[in-house]
Amino acid sequence: MADVGYVQKDTFLHRLDARTKLVLMLAILLVVLVFTNPFYVLAILFLVLGAWALAKLPLNMVADIFKYFTGIAVIIFALQAFFYPGQTNLLRISNAIPAIGFSGYITVEGVMYGLALVLRLVVIMTVAPLLVMTTPMSDLMLALVKLKIPYRFAFILTTAMSLFPSIQNRAELIQQAQLCRGVGDFESGNFFIRLRASASILTPLILGAFRDSQILDVAMSSRAFGAPVQRTYLLESHFRRADYLFLAGCLLSLIVAIILRLAHFGVV
Amino acid sequence: MNETNPTEKIDEVKPAPVRTWQSRGRIFGIPISLIAIWAALFVAASAVPALPVPGMGGMITVNAIMTAISGVVLGPAAAVANAAGAIIATILFPFGAFFGPFSFVTSTMGGLVAGLTFANRWKLAGLAEIILLASWFVNPASWQPYMYLVPLPYSLIAVLVIFIKPLREWARHQILTQNKLWMWPALFLFASTGHAAEYLTTNSLTNWLYSLTWQYWIPTLPYWIGVDTVIIILATIVGVGVLIGLHRARLPHASDLYIQK
Amino acid sequence: MDRESMITVENLTHVYPNGVEALCGVSLNVDRGEYLAIVGQNGSGKTTLAKHFNGLLRPTQGTIKVGGKDASKARVSELSRIIGYVFQNPDDMLFCNSVEEEIGFGPRMIGCSKDEIQRRVAETIQILGLESLQDQHPFALSLGDRQRLAVACALSMQPEVFVFDEPTTGQDYFGGQRIMEIIDRLHTSGKTIIIITHDMQMVAEHAQRVVVMSGGKIALDAPPAKAFTQIELLEKLSLRPPQITRFAFQMGWTDRAILNIREMCDVIRPQGSSPIAGNNGRGGNHG
Repeated sequence: MADVGYVQKDTFLHRLDARTKLVLMLAILLVVLVFTNPFYVLAILFLVLGAWALAKLPLNMVADIFKYFTGIAVIIFALQAFFYPGQTNLLRISNAIPAIGFSGYITVEGVMYGLALVLRLVVIMTVAPLLVMTTPMSDLMLALVKLKIPYRFAFILTTAMSLFPSIQNRAELIQQAQLCRGVGDFESGNFFIRLRASASILTPLILGAFRDSQILDVAMSSRAFGAPVQRTYLLESHFRRADYLFLAGCLLSLIVAIILRLAHFGVV
Repeated sequence: MNETNPTEKIDEVKPAPVRTWQSRGRIFGIPISLIAIWAALFVAASAVPALPVPGMGGMITVNAIMTAISGVVLGPAAAVANAAGAIIATILFPFGAFFGPFSFVTSTMGGLVAGLTFANRWKLAGLAEIILLASWFVNPASWQPYMYLVPLPYSLIAVLVIFIKPLREWARHQILTQNKLWMWPALFLFASTGHAAEYLTTNSLTNWLYSLTWQYWIPTLPYWIGVDTVIIILATIVGVGVLIGLHRARLPHASDLYIQK
Repeated sequence: MDRESMITVENLTHVYPNGVEALCGVSLNVDRGEYLAIVGQNGSGKTTLAKHFNGLLRPTQGTIKVGGKDASKARVSELSRIIGYVFQNPDDMLFCNSVEEEIGFGPRMIGCSKDEIQRRVAETIQILGLESLQDQHPFALSLGDRQRLAVACALSMQPEVFVFDEPTTGQDYFGGQRIMEIIDRLHTSGKTIIIITHDMQMVAEHAQRVVVMSGGKIALDAPPAKAFTQIELLEKLSLRPPQITRFAFQMGWTDRAILNIREMCDVIRPQGSSPIAGNNGRGGNHG
């Protein structure tokens, strides 16, 4: 099984049980959705980045991930800055333009809300690597199974992960074969023709893969997949004291966050 | 070649009451090996960028085509297959995952709604579709001017296919009997249903997470409708080829479950 | 035979994006009407070399000319009129909904008229004996039939050169024989044939020239009768000449390699008593 994305280090975060890290990830995602005040969200972002540093994950990866989302971040911010129905005027741009719902002013509330949303985007994009990059895939699968996610789903995940590179190779071969058969579309300058060409790879790719699945099916049956027995595992995971403490911390933070929000803290 | 066999009765096969090793190796009647293979195909498709998203470095990938046809190929099991594929794709190819860890929900819902509809479980499909529509319309952002236009026109097609029995039965019949001509519009309807559910989930998540306002949605709406149309048409082309191939090569797929000889 | 050059490769180097140098300075000339086998271990660069012939891969360095065209620049779809490439796995080549449609696809792509397409399809079906399968779905055929269909797809485009990547893999003996018979017939009709393989028996019985590749270089380039005398070199490259050749070698008949049973008979039988002295068309090193 390929340990995709796993960065082997010996840190506190690496040693935590995968289940704990899964709960941590979900807790952060929930908390970040609760608040719309940029300072609260910024605090959460610092927590996440702190965890990145703690796990000795490469921080420049944050920039790599964010590269894809800079455009939308700018849009998210601009939309709120210009169109949020705020009270406190910050900057006069022009006369009011009712047709596009613009009051003529950029408001403090709009800027704050826009910032909060952009920071929320960053948190959402950076929280998953905390789990994926600090946990070997086998541990992650085991954690899913222990959390009563059906073993069959974990099996689908791991099988798909190990099979997709060969499907990518296959797709390349099919594309080459189609080129040989005179399909000039892949080399076309027209975007839609190229797109249709990549779609036409899908049909033989899917059919070929479905044929192969029958071999996989036989292999699974011959290894007693679905036998009515209690599975045992080569690797075992154990909760340690740190895990319990961490879990309690997560739950506590979540409760505090919700109470704060109900008391109207952390909103613009 | 004879596409229509009058002796074939289209009906749902009752699931076996006893759980055997065979039923444990299946989800919604589809072998787990097939679901795993579909998930792997989904991951591979997620590596191929297809269409740009206005204002973003991220891209809609070819997996949108996979999602649109997944329901007709795998039935409700498509939800499981797409979910597995999308979870892996989020880790490996983040440029298509606009919502981080939440991203897998979109293609899961696409497969679920289209798959349930194709399995003729229209009540469940309808419930899922209504939940999706509600998640869009409950958000105050959708009360802004013209925002009711955003889920149109394909969510409208989805609602029609799910709730209008004759239309749904007709479309299922054309696909299950492999009608050479009418299979195309029928598959177009199911691809629309699947894609609309995915698109609606995406919109709703965008609303709840990033609060994009009508000033973004309305100017880009013609582009989105164009994107949807391109994806659904490509999905129809791919889907017809796949279904004919699966049927004539006697490879296992969802239609097997709904045809009783 | 006129010596018109079909493919000219000069000093060809190919480095894959991941940094693997698959070809380092290969030079090769293939004349019209040759019957060539490219052999070598997995990873020796034989498929990489062949994929340069029709532009599927582009040289990192060096030049390659195919039928007078610069193959490092020409579009693949253009080169596909000169080079017909048959992939190892026929499933990679097939994507239409019927055998007939599949065979007609290539001619349609290169802009043949409707009548011409029909004529070519009918002709190809007849040559390969696919009449009974015309309306079948390609994915519903047996492996052997799919393999023949893949050849048909290349044939209907009427190229000058055929490249076969491992044409007999996964086939039983008779299936393999059937494919080789078709290839031999194509050669007799004047086509240039290039086979990529590691089946030395097949090379001995069919090819007129062997190019042995190793580590991205050409290690040996000679007719089989000569090439197979280099047993030590071949064994070093994990290639084993046919049993009968090795037997003759062990017996000490090393001046020229024995390639098939007939040649062995000629050697063993007392001089003068052979009823068929020389060629029966198959195997041997005529030319």
